[in-house]
Amino acid sequence: MSAASLVSAAVELVGGLLLAPLLPGLVQHWKARLQGRRGPSPLQPYRELRRLWGKSTVDPAGSGLVYRWAPAVAASSVVAAVLLVPVSGNAPGLGVGRDMFVLAGLLALARFAVAAAAWDIVGGFSLMGASRDLTIAVSTEATLVLALAVGALVAGTTSLTAMVAGTAGTAAWSNPALALGAVSFALVVVAETGRQPIDNPDTHLELTMIHEGPLLEYAGRDLAYLQWAAAVRHWLVLVLAAQVFLPHAHSTWIQLGVLPVALVVLCAGLALTETLTAKMRILLVPRLVALGGIAALLGVASWLVQLT
Amino acid sequence: MTAAVLSAAVALLGLGIAACAAARTFRLGLTLQSAGAGLLAVSGFWALAGGTTFGSAFSGAFTPRFGVDGLTAFFLGMLGLVAAPTLAFASPYLATGPRGRVIGGLTGAFVLTLAEVLCARDPFTFLAGWELMTLLPAALILVSRSDDAARRSVFLYVAVTHIAGAGTWIAVLLAAHAGVFGGTSVLARGSGLQIAIALAALAGMGTKAGVMPLHSWLPRAHPIAPAPVSALMSGVMIKVAIYGLVRVLVDWLGVLPLWLGLVVLALGALSAVGGVVYALFQHDLKRLLAFHSIENVGIIVLGLGACLLLRTRGADAWAALALAAALLHTLNHAAFKSLLFLGAGSFERAVGSLELDRIGGLLRRMPWTGGAFLVGSLAIAGVPPLNGFASEWLTLQALVHVPVYGGLGDGLAGALALAALAATAALAILCFVKVVGLVLLGPPRRASVAEAAEAPVPMRAAVVALAGTCVALGVVPGLLVAPLARLAPWRVPVHATFALHLPGTGSLPTVGIALVLGLLAPLLFVMRGKRVAATAPTWACGQLVQPQLAWTSAGFTKPLRLVLEAVLRPEREIAVRASGGVVQEVSYTGRVPHLIDERVYAPVVRSALVTARHARRLQTGRLGTYVGYLIALVLVLLAAAKAGLIG
Repeated sequence: MSAASLVSAAVELVGGLLLAPLLPGLVQHWKARLQGRRGPSPLQPYRELRRLWGKSTVDPAGSGLVYRWAPAVAASSVVAAVLLVPVSGNAPGLGVGRDMFVLAGLLALARFAVAAAAWDIVGGFSLMGASRDLTIAVSTEATLVLALAVGALVAGTTSLTAMVAGTAGTAAWSNPALALGAVSFALVVVAETGRQPIDNPDTHLELTMIHEGPLLEYAGRDLAYLQWAAAVRHWLVLVLAAQVFLPHAHSTWIQLGVLPVALVVLCAGLALTETLTAKMRILLVPRLVALGGIAALLGVASWLVQLT
Repeated sequence: MTAAVLSAAVALLGLGIAACAAARTFRLGLTLQSAGAGLLAVSGFWALAGGTTFGSAFSGAFTPRFGVDGLTAFFLGMLGLVAAPTLAFASPYLATGPRGRVIGGLTGAFVLTLAEVLCARDPFTFLAGWELMTLLPAALILVSRSDDAARRSVFLYVAVTHIAGAGTWIAVLLAAHAGVFGGTSVLARGSGLQIAIALAALAGMGTKAGVMPLHSWLPRAHPIAPAPVSALMSGVMIKVAIYGLVRVLVDWLGVLPLWLGLVVLALGALSAVGGVVYALFQHDLKRLLAFHSIENVGIIVLGLGACLLLRTRGADAWAALALAAALLHTLNHAAFKSLLFLGAGSFERAVGSLELDRIGGLLRRMPWTGGAFLVGSLAIAGVPPLNGFASEWLTLQALVHVPVYGGLGDGLAGALALAALAATAALAILCFVKVVGLVLLGPPRRASVAEAAEAPVPMRAAVVALAGTCVALGVVPGLLVAPLARLAPWRVPVHATFALHLPGTGSLPTVGIALVLGLLAPLLFVMRGKRVAATAPTWACGQLVQPQLAWTSAGFTKPLRLVLEAVLRPEREIAVRASGGVVQEVSYTGRVPHLIDERVYAPVVRSALVTARHARRLQTGRLGTYVGYLIALVLVLLAAAKAGLIG
């Protein structure tokens, strides 16, 4: 194994498992600045995780095994997803393969666990959030798969590592298929990270919650797992956005060097979007995300036309 | 050797059926049947692994012949895998009374009939078995239920499968006539005969498989049968129709024109999405499961469509893998759907009705059955590391390779089908989270549920064995993919390894994923610690949580219903009765009508009845009129002969 692939694996593990909470921290920090507030430090998510780790968990009356296991299952499935999403075109296999459809499956497992937990405690607000989350997930999953399929067509394989290598260079600017795929994936990023205009991570009003709703009852280490898992979802989709749909270098070392810059820029982009847009009506969200799916379909069409 | 095991299996099944006749040997008979089915599974998978073929080859002559090749062996294995636990389940499930004994005997006969269709090697045996396969479940339903609603459903089932089932006769007889029964001679690609056989098979066998829009019988007939029969119908019978489709479309007809592949793909996408969407709005557990069978048949047909398209484009390796995807999903669906139907049967026995909004909390009261049901729900929802995910992954791969090898039209169709399958998977999660929540979790929603007791040991063992099968098939699907891909009549070497390192994919190391999830989740659970704060009620803005306020099935699916309002056209009625300015009573009814039933079937039935009413006027019953008809006929014929139209 070459030095480049060893370093890729190290960056993937350290970045995905340890540095991920920094990403939502950065978004919150810049969002506050853009809104003229001083806001929390980018390290705030770490402080919250530490605080939660020291607290005891709460099992609501009548809750059972499903409620207790859900945070562990959700967290372990995003860990598996971290092992799956490569940071460079030279990343070695880490035991779970590198396939894009497996990513969709693992994210679905996390969603299933959290939504089932909401049923276990029959919390009205939890179920409201879970049912909205799963409804939006229908169009998100279709759009995610289609957007990545554009990358797969360009690279000729559904392996994410090969996709990072196959889309390297400035193809994203010159190839209409990839550009349309990028538009589509941008909507997936917003939906998966639960940010405005799709969801408002800052809301404290239970009636408007989507991703936060099923977490309402959790406390202590359970909540720490779930908040950490939400941060890791930022890492997963932002890394994919940077290494597949944004222009990236051919060389592994430059890919790894530019990745932090790309992630910071994407976080800034999320902060700007959150500042400029308001949360949209929940029932309009599937339409918005489905528009992304249509963009990806156009991308597939333009790729097929280029070939003929 | 395999032939001997197969004969022993058939003998045991026959002996078991005979033993069911007497009350004293009834339980023994079902046990014998179950053992026979187990041998069936052994012989089937053994023959598949060894690639052995025995018995006669296909022949268009009308003399009974039986034989086994790879495809038959796979489906026989699947039949045994489902039937063995199902028959063991039936032993305590069925009463020893005369009615139970008839059901027990007929169930065994049903298993034998399914095996007969699979082993048939001539048109006569095939069609005879095919008809018996339709009629036996009808008889089983009529023996077990005698109410009018059940009779009407059975009538509809028999009528729809017979009218549309004519397609099977046309396809099989045309194939025998053209000498392609058994794929001995090759039809020209795109010839009228090839297309006629393919379309007839799609209509006839598609109806039996429950492909939308020919599915209308399935959600009516499956839920009213006794649980073991439902499990066999959903688990195996509709798969035998898939067997027929694979035989005709893939095995016998050679390379089909592109548009036929597109038709198959479109039918698959419609069934997958339509099946799961209507499943979401069902209020009865067994009916919901029946709609999910339509969805899963749709996923299988999507794989089949991808296979046909890739074959036409000359991508033989991926065409074989697409066929393997379809067959693997067939097996996986057989495992988890029979598990879910048997689980539903246990629940029904324990709590009475299966109305979704009125169950709740069964995981605590029936831990074995409930736990197995949870595994089955995760498997059908298609989450890793269970078997549903493995075959959906392979189907997604097959679909994404359609645009890789195709042109603009089929490439776009492949991408659309890919999106449809991804959306189907997400909808299945929405649906099964709801099922798990309403049936297994939360507090009991009615008094009888609170007193539910765990099922007897054989019933428990059956569902646990099937749950184990779901886990095993999810962890080692790689073992099956290579032998299944070899079943394609265009022999291409497919290098499918244990970890599914397929070329053009990022590979699916199922063992690795299962290990990561299986080790990490318990570790994180232990790290969660034991320190728990005082138990508190769930937060409801300070309101007391009352059972009447519990979420219902309709509430959980409401966001989706509103999003799809333009397509689904849900109906709702709210009646408010006020007197003296005070609201006395508010009544609410809402339902999601089944559009295909109301917009397609209802007009057809109406116009058929109108036509029949007009036709009845011709039948006066007077002799003179009939003599008049005869004379008129002779005159018309003479005139036609004179004009040179006939003769």
